[in-house]
Amino acid sequence: MMEVVDIDDAVTGIRTLTLARPDRGPLPSFTPGSHIVIEHGGGANAYSLTGETAAPREYVVSVLECLDGRGGSRWIHRGLSVGDTVRVREPRSAFAPVLRARRHLLIAAGIGITPMVSHLRSARRWGRDVQLLYIHREGRGAYADEIKALTDHARFFTDRASFVAELVAILAGSPFGTHAYVCGPGPFIDDVVALAIDLGWPPSRIHVEHFGGELAPGEPFEVELVRSGETFVVDSGVSLLEALEAQGKTVPSMCRQGVCGECRVPVRSGVVLHRDLYLSQAERDAGDAMMACVSRAAGRLEVDL
Amino acid sequence: MSPPLELTSIPPWAVAPLCPDADLTGRHWTVLAIGDDDAAAAIAAEWNDQITAHRPDARPRVHVVDDAGAACEALDADLADAVVGWRLLLAGPAHTCLRVRARALELGAGDDEITVASTEVATREILCAHCRTITTARVELTGTLPCAGCGCKLFVYYHVSRRLGTHLGFAAAAHHRGTQ
Repeated sequence: MMEVVDIDDAVTGIRTLTLARPDRGPLPSFTPGSHIVIEHGGGANAYSLTGETAAPREYVVSVLECLDGRGGSRWIHRGLSVGDTVRVREPRSAFAPVLRARRHLLIAAGIGITPMVSHLRSARRWGRDVQLLYIHREGRGAYADEIKALTDHARFFTDRASFVAELVAILAGSPFGTHAYVCGPGPFIDDVVALAIDLGWPPSRIHVEHFGGELAPGEPFEVELVRSGETFVVDSGVSLLEALEAQGKTVPSMCRQGVCGECRVPVRSGVVLHRDLYLSQAERDAGDAMMACVSRAAGRLEVDL
Repeated sequence: MSPPLELTSIPPWAVAPLCPDADLTGRHWTVLAIGDDDAAAAIAAEWNDQITAHRPDARPRVHVVDDAGAACEALDADLADAVVGWRLLLAGPAHTCLRVRARALELGAGDDEITVASTEVATREILCAHCRTITTARVELTGTLPCAGCGCKLFVYYHVSRRLGTHLGFAAAAHHRGTQ
């Protein structure tokens, strides 16, 4: 459990929470680009840590309010006050800087800036060559002052055309040894990656962090567990994983956002609506597995549990 | 018992001659042909044709050199001003390609930026785990040979150092030496 010790709403639509242990003791250090998972009534969401990485006493996250999401960000924006306690899982690293890179090119859109802040902090500490391209809506540029204090090599954009022009020039002229890190909404990541690939970037130099807001709640669907014969309905806004847990089933899980691959469940039959980022196209085509945390079904689903 | 080689550090092109197509996903290329016969140069010419057919404006830098040392010098020079999008296409005897690959990795290249065609795989460079001497010889994996440095009878293990580009050799009877 962690306590909310500060709330900052200075940027419209973005709430920054500072969390600390109730006894204000030191917290586990984390790798730049790490995130924590904050649990809420209807589930859990991952948020990048933007504060100090080494022996911190506070964890800082910034949360964009998603009005059509599952409710996690709404609860953080409207339900939380200083002094409240929240259940937080320890930091996890899935977007770390590649230490042998000659240059680190950070490319962020909107709230996708959050993992880049700890990258910038660590780049400054260790004297790494870093460059940031940050596109955001006018007046919605979170962390602008902090970024300016951390690096002289940040470019801010509020219009797409000039951002893309600069991005193309930089991707085409990055010295060999550069690694790129991309975070933002899904379509933004897809566009940047496609551009980089087109300019000859190999996959090993492109690192992405998917934080593209929350998924749509989806339609309800019926599930049968073929081994036990149990049948139940997964409601809109509830994941299959949550529904299985509510039935008392234990399914290994970790990220709960379709990234880590832990909660893969075998599917006997049904039309799966894959929404994860883990299964390959071939695995999706096989139709015999799904990620219970994010993927859903159209109609009746038979799960081999 | 030998493990399946795909689970080891031995690349497939170091056990059988392979000639893949040029990697056309890049935008800049260095093509290195190593060896005194025409085999590697012919592969380099084929790759050059594939690249220019794919991108008529591409200007691959093609080097035909005698040995791994000269190849590494050409590689160093090309990489000095390279940008991301650069690819290395390497043709020659596997043991020299392993050396040049090691240099490319040291300079920051990734496996998905290096393509290798091997023209010969019988020769191996064996690093002695005991005296660190490198012995070059025609020897099979799991074969044995005397170390040119300490004379130890070396077992050629199915491991290649990515950093050095050499196979690992250790005394076939090492367990006797310490106890006698």
